[in-house]
Amino acid sequence: MTSRGRLEAILLPAAAVAVLIALWHMAVRWTGTNVFPSPGAVARGFAELARKGLLLRYSRDSLLRVAAGYGAALAVGIPAGVFLGWRPAAARAANPVIQLLRPISPLAWIPVAIVLFGVSNVAAVFLIFLASLFPILVSAMNGVRGVPAMYRDAGRNFGLSERALLSRVVFPAALPEILTGLRLALGIAWIVVVAAEMIAVDSGLGYLVIDSRNAGKRYDLVVAAMLSIGAVGLVLNLIVQRVSRLRAVRWGFREETP
Amino acid sequence: MSAGRKILAGLLAWTGVVTAAHLTLNFDWSAAWNDRLPAAKRKLNVAYIPVTCHLACPVTDFISRYSLDGALFIPRMFQGFPEIKEALISDRMQVGFMVAPMAIALVAQGVPIKIVYLGHRYGSAVVVRKDGPIRSVRDLAGKTIAIPSRFSDERLIVFKALKQNGMTGADVHLIEMAPPDVAGALAAGAIDAFSMGEPYPSQAELGGFGRVLFHAREYWPDYMSCVVVVRQDVIDRRPQAVQILVDGIARSGLWLDEGRPHREHAADFVARYYFRQKPEVLRHALTEPLDRVIYTKLSPRKPDFDMVRDLMIETAVLDRRIAFEEYVDPRFAEGATTQTAWKYEPGSGKAE
Repeated sequence: MTSRGRLEAILLPAAAVAVLIALWHMAVRWTGTNVFPSPGAVARGFAELARKGLLLRYSRDSLLRVAAGYGAALAVGIPAGVFLGWRPAAARAANPVIQLLRPISPLAWIPVAIVLFGVSNVAAVFLIFLASLFPILVSAMNGVRGVPAMYRDAGRNFGLSERALLSRVVFPAALPEILTGLRLALGIAWIVVVAAEMIAVDSGLGYLVIDSRNAGKRYDLVVAAMLSIGAVGLVLNLIVQRVSRLRAVRWGFREETP
Repeated sequence: MSAGRKILAGLLAWTGVVTAAHLTLNFDWSAAWNDRLPAAKRKLNVAYIPVTCHLACPVTDFISRYSLDGALFIPRMFQGFPEIKEALISDRMQVGFMVAPMAIALVAQGVPIKIVYLGHRYGSAVVVRKDGPIRSVRDLAGKTIAIPSRFSDERLIVFKALKQNGMTGADVHLIEMAPPDVAGALAAGAIDAFSMGEPYPSQAELGGFGRVLFHAREYWPDYMSCVVVVRQDVIDRRPQAVQILVDGIARSGLWLDEGRPHREHAADFVARYYFRQKPEVLRHALTEPLDRVIYTKLSPRKPDFDMVRDLMIETAVLDRRIAFEEYVDPRFAEGATTQTAWKYEPGSGKAE
């Protein structure tokens, strides 16, 4: 990238953010609302939250919940997806159930989660697990199923055992598609953490939204919590983008590689 | 017809069908008509949630429809206090029933509202699982208790009870929950106890899974829970409309306290047409015994509110000793003291 390109990559988004904040400020001024906070009020809200040490602690707690739920979904989803992709008969049997459960919003699971796990951390983690499981499972299944037959035949001709064939040929070949599923699932997991933390856990950025709402007229804190959720999501996405540029999978993302 | 025209015609027809369905199914015509009236003639929108403390709101609406003047205001049911708070702040609602400490806290935060009347007295209780290990207030140590809001008298009675038993708020875990959710949460074992207004204690008792640990009045003799708040701009511009509203609510309170038949009738029509709950639950809350809740003597009194305010400061949900006059406007309650009960009998079809 040229130095000019690098400058633009920073300046253009910064200008867009500045314009948006200016518009927001003007909109609050012009409408004369005394409910919706101005950017300045939200900045002071941020400062208040930071001073109390809540921002870092709540971000950490939310990330831990996502890590737990997402980690569990990885541990279950990838092996199950690879298995289903590898055994078409099993996939045919399981597919209707997967497609039935997949469109159910994690919000709809809240009552069930509370009945199963009480008002607790586990219930929140369970919701994140559910939300991230299906994208991972389905992408692993489709990834393995989509590996060209030629690869498998070539592997077999080299005398690979079934296990070696899976781990050394099929899984690496399916990895780019699996990673796409992982990236999608992480985005969803982060979105769901807000909903999950609304069910009576007492920390986290989602809880901060609810807690600020319950604190009377503190919409500055509500908006600050919303922006924090967005900021952490942005960082997560940047990290995942880095991962998808790793050498082991770069070949799979043809359009994105230079 | 060309393909493009067919698609256009299809889209138009679809839009028409959806619009017609929306207008017949979702659209509140009386509210829309009301919004088009000149400001001075508009009926007030009154927010409430399905608890007995707000019962006078639907009762007044139901009875006044039979009177010559017709319905006095437009009632709107909500499911929780944060929603009512938002509707009031943003002027979607001009009047709302809400827990007293929330009204005080909102005024302290600069929201222009005033308390004009009380919802009812008594009627809140701390309920635990029937077969559970909690037998006394001391057993609450380390347990999770649901409350409607951090700004609620239901929270304050928990603190009062703990204090009298030598404990503090740090000994329990309080969580905020919408009132309609607590009975289910207790039945599912998601919480150990809840402190809530009727009919949720009754619901837990009748459902066979809950037991009243103590009633609010055991620790707070003249217990009050919810209040009626009105936006300051409405009080300033249309005091007469506020007086009519408070008069109507006061008359309903007198009517409700005239005896069992009125209570039973109210339980029936409010449960069916307003709260959408089982009538038996509401009947139990209103009649077992009759003074489980009462709807008279509801003028805001300074000593009651001073105590609430001081408890709020003590439990860290308020940061200054805000004066009674800042958040209460007593003149409407005073104006309503000469009112008499509605003349309305079940099935008579007319009221005056």
